Amino acid sequence: MSWVEASLSDRFLERVRQQPAAPALVWDGRRISYRELHAIACGAASRLETPELADQRPVGIKAKKSPQAIALILACLMVRRPVLLASADLGTETLRQLWAQAGISHVLTPEVGAPGGFTVATGDVPAREDGVGARPAARCDDVAVMLTTSGSTGVPKIVPLTHRAVRRFTDWASERFEITAGTTVLNYAPLHFDLCLLDIWTTLEHGGCATLVDQDRATDPGYLIGLIADAEVHVVQAVPMLYQLLLHGAPDGGRPLESVVHAVVTGDSMPAGCLDALFGLLPRARLYNLYGATETNDSFIHEIDPSHDRAPIPIGRPLPGVHALILSADGRVLEGAGTGELLVSTPFQTEGYLSEALNEGKLVVRSDDPDRRTYFRTGDIVRRDGDGVITLEGRADSFVKVRGVRVSTQAVERVIATHPQVVEAAVAPFSDELSGHRLHAVVRRAADSDLHSLSLRRHCARFMDRVAIPSTVEIVTTPLPKTSTGKVDRRRALPQSRAYPSG
Amino acid sequence: MTDQTHVIKTFVVDEFMPDVPIEQLDAGEDLLAAGIIDSLGLLQVIVWLEDTFDLVLDDAEISPETFRSVDAISALVDELRPKSHATS
Repeated sequence: MSWVEASLSDRFLERVRQQPAAPALVWDGRRISYRELHAIACGAASRLETPELADQRPVGIKAKKSPQAIALILACLMVRRPVLLASADLGTETLRQLWAQAGISHVLTPEVGAPGGFTVATGDVPAREDGVGARPAARCDDVAVMLTTSGSTGVPKIVPLTHRAVRRFTDWASERFEITAGTTVLNYAPLHFDLCLLDIWTTLEHGGCATLVDQDRATDPGYLIGLIADAEVHVVQAVPMLYQLLLHGAPDGGRPLESVVHAVVTGDSMPAGCLDALFGLLPRARLYNLYGATETNDSFIHEIDPSHDRAPIPIGRPLPGVHALILSADGRVLEGAGTGELLVSTPFQTEGYLSEALNEGKLVVRSDDPDRRTYFRTGDIVRRDGDGVITLEGRADSFVKVRGVRVSTQAVERVIATHPQVVEAAVAPFSDELSGHRLHAVVRRAADSDLHSLSLRRHCARFMDRVAIPSTVEIVTTPLPKTSTGKVDRRRALPQSRAYPSG
Repeated sequence: MTDQTHVIKTFVVDEFMPDVPIEQLDAGEDLLAAGIIDSLGLLQVIVWLEDTFDLVLDDAEISPETFRSVDAISALVDELRPKSHATS
């Protein structure tokens, strides 16, 4: 099989053959070689193929980052078993719905020492409801991995990615950021983030070494700086929060991280004012703003010019093979400079949500497009200047980024409103220097109830990802201000909030 | 409940959920799962612990598991607090 056609796991196996002793992962100060990682993955693959577990249906993995988790995902890829990666921080109810939606056969949890390196929880798998649920948009044996992304109802949307789509992305990423044998790449993001397609999977395909940031220590600046310096990391991709933390941990410039040659900022807007310090901290690095979505992977890139660029940093220009349109408010395609909603079509995108009904209005073919391309409606309002460079202006809907994770404030409101003692609620984002945004909720409780922020948070924790739980909660008994149509008027309920990210 | 546990509980309530009557928070309650202390809130807790109990927390001690509940935090303080008498 040619390299061009080979799947991710085939390419990984080729690396194992070529460079068995080279480091594949760095974890907790220890290097794990390609040979070793392969051995762990083979153990998992063997168990996956036993009668106990062999099945056509996908498996689900609650993905807390570890070498065992990575080996387990590799094993699924090796035996062509589609795998749904879910956040380890999802509420229990949401997780159950997610497993049900995907129709998974088993939930696997990586565990050192367990047979095959994982335990199986069939108890977590809800009984399949006939007639309900999804036909995969792509044939099952084409699907490599399934990721999730926030929906406006609170239950995440499942995004299947084919082997072909993944390969096209890793081809681009390896070339763009010079990821090859011996390149050390930092992995900051959790395993269920699409960012890992670059950090971990492109790296392992090309013989590099993925240096894993322990999620439990991900906000410790001393740990992060030490890790990057000791491992001599060449490539970093992360949300703005990582860079903010590195700058906090290195006051007055500290010790510059000289090994880094490519530093990618992604997932949210880079805040104003820290660019100069960042170039000082990473003196040999080229710095990029990379824009994308789980549905499409990356679509736009802008290399930041230290002498010229100030916030708001543009998202720049489309990646090779990406088609982009801007739709003005009247639905017409904008030519030239102007503002409107960004639509993108990428070589790396999903063929459709697992639940096909969700495609409506999000993945669209335009009747005026002779090429019949499927475009993804990003929901981002952008401005294109006279040179064709694109900059984010805001959102067309209620989504904001909290620590790089897309969160729907509307979904959070809905979940809060399902609490039996809640009459109505308003949730709004407030700019936060470190996390991008934090959420504040104003909640009106029933007159005779004793609802407080702890009971409300417990309720939220069952139904949403932990990152979406509001940081601060204000409980009131007076009715919230209303618009003329009788809906909660968020602007008046939360007057200090800014609806769109700054910068 | 010991004085130490009560002091820690008071801090957690005052800092992260001032509207909640203190007796509503169980000392064994999972503070992380309910989103009461997130990874950034953790830093606040660490600073307060170091100031209040005259400790220095090194990297090895800083993991979310250690701070999972008021009881867990109290156990950490017991482990790290300088003892008034040496033990063999």
